[in-house]
Parts: sequence; structure tokens; C-alpha cells
Amino acid sequence: MTDVRAEEAAAGLDIVPSGAGSGGAGAGSDGAGSDGTGKSAPPSFGISGWLTWGWRQLTSMRTALVLLFLLALGSVPGSMLPQEGADPAGVQQYFTSHPALAPLLNHLGLFNVFAAPWFAAIYLLLFTSLVGCVVPRTFRLAGSARSLPPRAPRFLSRLPHSAGYSTALPPDEAIEAAAGVLARRGFRLRRAPAAETWVSAERGYLREAGNLLFHLALLGVLVSIALGGLFGYKADKLLVAGQTFADTRSALDEFHPGRLVGGGDLPPFTITLNQFAASYLESGPDRGQPSFFDARISYTASPGDPARSYDLEINRPLSVDSTKVYLIGHGYAPVFRVTDARGQVVYNAATPFIPGSTGNFLSEGVVKVPGAQPQQLGFLCVFVPTAVDVGGTLESVFPAAGNPAVSLIAYAGDLGMNSGVPQSVYQLDTAGMRRLTTGTELLQPGQTLRLPGGRGTIAFTGYRQWVSLQITHDPGQLPALACGIAALAGLLLSFMVRRRRVFVRARAGERGTTVQVGGLARTDASGGFEDEFASLANELAAAHHSTGPARQSETGE
Amino acid sequence: MFRGTVSRAKRRVLIPAALAVTALVVAVVLVAGAGGGGAAGGVSYVGGSTSAVLYAAGHRHPVPDFTGTTLTGSRLSFAAYRGRVVVVNFWGSWCTPCRAEAPALAVLSAKYQPSGVRFLGVDVNDDPASAGAFARGFGIRYPSVSDPGYVITQDFSSAVPISGTPTTLVVDRSGRVAGAVFGSTTYSELNAILMRVTGKAA
Repeated sequence: MTDVRAEEAAAGLDIVPSGAGSGGAGAGSDGAGSDGTGKSAPPSFGISGWLTWGWRQLTSMRTALVLLFLLALGSVPGSMLPQEGADPAGVQQYFTSHPALAPLLNHLGLFNVFAAPWFAAIYLLLFTSLVGCVVPRTFRLAGSARSLPPRAPRFLSRLPHSAGYSTALPPDEAIEAAAGVLARRGFRLRRAPAAETWVSAERGYLREAGNLLFHLALLGVLVSIALGGLFGYKADKLLVAGQTFADTRSALDEFHPGRLVGGGDLPPFTITLNQFAASYLESGPDRGQPSFFDARISYTASPGDPARSYDLEINRPLSVDSTKVYLIGHGYAPVFRVTDARGQVVYNAATPFIPGSTGNFLSEGVVKVPGAQPQQLGFLCVFVPTAVDVGGTLESVFPAAGNPAVSLIAYAGDLGMNSGVPQSVYQLDTAGMRRLTTGTELLQPGQTLRLPGGRGTIAFTGYRQWVSLQITHDPGQLPALACGIAALAGLLLSFMVRRRRVFVRARAGERGTTVQVGGLARTDASGGFEDEFASLANELAAAHHSTGPARQSETGE
Repeated sequence: MFRGTVSRAKRRVLIPAALAVTALVVAVVLVAGAGGGGAAGGVSYVGGSTSAVLYAAGHRHPVPDFTGTTLTGSRLSFAAYRGRVVVVNFWGSWCTPCRAEAPALAVLSAKYQPSGVRFLGVDVNDDPASAGAFARGFGIRYPSVSDPGYVITQDFSSAVPISGTPTTLVVDRSGRVAGAVFGSTTYSELNAILMRVTGKAA
């Protein structure tokens, strides 16, 4: 920013104060305030002027900060309201508990914030703003990091730090000696033209390098995030103990691919859940809180590979073939065996149930038996891991399966499955069905319920546990981390390194040569330059075998 | 001098602006282009929908040689079908579009039996009791191998991108995928593909 001003001043431009640019300001006014002020008035000329002005506004630091704030603000509902992607059941629950408010929120996209158009608008603008701001700055910094120190000012005693003394050395030799001292101290030098006797020196260019690193790393972070968005994916899979799944599109319950992910891009691993164990606190105020989860799995990285075993725990994901597999949830899958009116076994499977919000893993689920003859059968069920009868209703008093029980309502009729319209496996469409049982029927493991009218039987034969796995592939994660670290390192460098200049002039006088040393710290926020300058001045004087008294002043004049 | 300074200041803004706009356009084209992918060479569509496709001779990928256990408990090897046109249908009794297409598959398997075409099911994510009830209920007489964990399905992903259930593949006499229906198929779609692959229609 400063150099822009300087350039304008040098070019003889009038900088029009803000607000005065309506009629007579002329074309020059938009030159003011590139990044930072953002107060330049709209220019009064055509489309290209408006575009330039708009681009300046968009890429100003202030706009970037406002957009960043909006982004943070916009993600607040994402963490306060249930989201479609992460918690579809929660969204449904919200709709039933807030029937008036929910449709309005849904219209605003607040149940899927991160896919909402307004959210995309914010981050696309932010991205453009950052790129437009950072790229030109990077070029400027790169220039600045290579630049030589300026010419020595005429009167060094006016600088914030200065010293002077006399020496017997002729001026050119004195300058040579001073240049030697400064070069040994790591200063970058600018030598005077032949007729003059001065030397300029500057160090602390690492500050600019740090700044440059910070900006480049910032761009790197943006690119990494884009990489992750284009080539990464996220998938969910529910896996019942004893079952295997192969990582392929149709096996996944949910699949959210990046824009450039094809169907054949999934690594061909298989995972078998051998056993799942969860333990809970047995006593104390936190009784029933989980204390430990452990999913024992075996996996093959690709077909034909030997099977390896692994203990999947919360925050201990499995890394396989550039993807990570996380354990994110668990639940119960009671096993049912259903026979129809003809005595055929038409269903015999572990059926995953979803834990309800009431706690202690009271879980709800549905058994659909489309193959039952002569009519299809359906069951609305509740699984209770540790059941206690409280005044006629079942309650779960502990999340572990201490006294498992199932209560169910049986239906017969048309499940609505043959029309081909997809339906949720966790919901029973009873529109075409008739309720067979008046109350709820209670079953314990091993018990069988005879359906009225000889329609068949349902047996609750036991239960298994399931885990839900999240499979993520984010190729931008590691680059983003590296760039984040680099950005931090660059920022630290640019904060900690001071850029400081030292100038030495020698003039021939009556009593030998007069040497003037001047010093200037361009950014001396933390102080400490005066000590460095004093020791440097002493060293220079010593190198010059100074004869006169070393005079030192803190400030010019 | 005045003019020169302004145009330099402008250029300083316009160049990065132009770069950024170009980058944005490239990104949008890339992103949009990726969405419409799949219409590669060698693919033609059947019946005006993009879900039923025919692959030209040079663009057919070989099917893996898999073995499995059928719903009735016997071993089945795909190698036994070499030299025949085979319809491989991926299905599950829980899958509603599979139930919708099942009657068409039952009819077509009987119709093409005399011409030597064989039908084979791959029953995914299912239990044998439910799968058996499905086959009985729809009068499906051809065998199905059990693939509860999608391992066989994964094997096929090298030949054709199977993205969901149901999927139906038509394998030619040399063991390559000649046609496919992604999603629920119909009598006319699958019949059209079979006519072409068996050589009964030009």
C-alpha cells in the first residue's frame, strides 16, 4: 500500500479525498486506495471502469475479512441444526417437532448449509477475493525480497539512530572497511557510484521471504482444499458383526464423491467385522456412558491380498490404500426368522435397528417380508437392550444387552415394494396393510410369536451388533496441513525478523576523515535495534581506528 | 504522464483479474465437463434412455472368472458359461426396483432359453431365505450366486462401472460385456440388447 502511494505522489497525481469524486474528480480518483482503504468512489466512466472498481472492492482486504466473517457466521446453523448429510434422521425429527418453522428453514437451505447456494456464493467470492488479493501481493513481495537497499541519505544524523567519529583513514578506505564489517554481519550492500563515498546496507530480508512464504502457502491451502473437493469422497457403510463388505459403489449406503471422482476410483478393499464390543460405565453419576468401543476387523487391501486384522476404535481409523476408515457409530441388529402361511422360511436375517433419542439404545426398526405368501408381512419393532417393565411400557435402563427384548406390531398386506419406487429400509409404509395384532407383542430371545389367522410366525432368535463406518479420501488433506504449517512459519518469520538499514558516509575534513553512521529499523515493533546499532557503531569505529570521540545520539537532532 | 500512470495502475489490476477469471472459467468447464462424462466412444443407447447401453466390439471389457455358492447351496463357476451369451443380473430381495423388473427377467429368460442364452443372478446383501422367497414368488428359474458382501460385484467393477442395484449386464460369447442396463430394466430394453448381441437384429 505504501509504495502505491509513493508512486502516485512521485507521478504528481492528486489523490482525491473520498466523497469528492462525484463530478469533477476525473479518472485519476480510482488510483487511490488499492487494498486496505476500499473507500474509492465509483469512477464516472464506462464499463471497464466499473469492472476495475468492482474488482478492487472484491479483492480488498476488508471485503475478504467480511466474507470470512460471513463464512463463519453461515456455518453456525450447520452446527446448531441437524444436517441432511450427517444426520437425516435428526432433520426428520426436527420437522415433526417444529412443523411451522422447519419448512421455512428448509427453504433457506439451513438443513443442508454446506450445499446451499448462498453458502457456495460466499465461499466462491471469498476464494476469488483471496486469489485476487494474494497473487499480486506475491509478485510485489517477490520483487521486494530481491531489491537493493536505497541510496544513503545526505544527512545521516537525522535518522533515528546515528553516530559519528573521525578517523585517519582516507574516505574511500574508510568506506571499504565499513563495507567489510557490514558484509561480515550479513548485511546486503549497495555501493556508491565512483565519485561518492558512502555505503548502504540492509538486512532482515527474511521478513519479506517469510511474508512471501505466508502468501504462497495461503494459495497452497486454497488449492489443497479445491483438490480435496474435486478428487476426494466421503462414504458411509453400516456393517453387521460377522458380515463382510467390498468397497464398491453399490455396497455403500451413502456416497458423496468429489466432482472429478469416477466410479472405478474406489480402492478395492474388503472389510469384515469379526466382533464389536462396547463397554459402559456401570455406576456413578455417568452410569451408562460409553467407556470403550472396539471393533475387531480383518481387511484385505485388494483382492487376493492376505487378510490382516485391525482394532478400529473411535479416533483410531484404519488407513488403507489412501483412504481412512473411521468408526463413527454402532447399534443393535436383532435377528428374526419369519415363516409364512405355507410354512416356508421367508426371512432369516440380522436387521439393523436405529438407536432412538431416548438413550440407553432403545432402538427402532422395521422387518419387511415381501416374499411372504399369500400376503406380504411387515413388522414395526422396538429393540430394548436391558428391558424393564415400567407400568406396562418397556424402558431401557442400560445400553448393554443385559436383558434384551423386542416389542412389535405385525401388519399384513401390500408393502408397496413391487412398484419399483425406492423406500427406506427403516420405514414401513402401512397404507396398504392391515394391523394383525391389537397391542404390542413382547418377545425375548428364542421366543416365537404365532400370527393370528395362521399367517405364519416370527421368531426373535438373538441379536448382533453393527457399526457404522465412514470412509473418506481427501487428497488435499496432507498438502493443506503442510501449507498451513508453512503459512504459520512464514507469519512467524515476518513477525520476528526486523528489516533494518545502516548507512555509512565518510567525508574528508581538516582533521582527517569524518565518518557518519546512521541506522533505521523499518519495522521496530519489538525494539532491540538500538543495542544492535550501538554494537555495530562500536565495531565500525574500531575497524576505523577512530581518533575522535565516538558520539552517539538516539534520535536525529 | 497522467494517462500513462492511470493505464499502468489499471493494468496492474486487470492482469490478475483476467488471470483469476480465466482460472474460474477453466474450473467451471472442468467441473461441468466431469458431470456429463460417460458418453465415451463405442457406446450407443437403447430405447432413447442413457441407462441402457450397447458397447461396440472394440470397447467391451472381459468379465472376471468368478465362482460362488448358489442360493440352493451348490457351487457355480462362471467359466461353465463360456461361449454363450449370458445375462448377469445384480439384485436383492430388499431392492424395490429389482422387484419391479423381476417379471420381465423371468419372461425373457424363458424366451431366450432355446437360443442358448443363459441368465444368472448375483444376489447382493441378502439372506438365502428372503432370496429364495423372491425367486419362488416371481417364478425365476435361473440360478443366482449369493454375494452378501458385494465381493463379486467389486470384481466386476473392472469390466463395467456398477453404481447400484439393480444392474443387468449382457455378456457376449467371448466373455465380454456387450450391453448393460443401469437401474431397473424393462422387457423392451433388455430384449433390444439381447436381439443385438445374439445377432437376431442388425
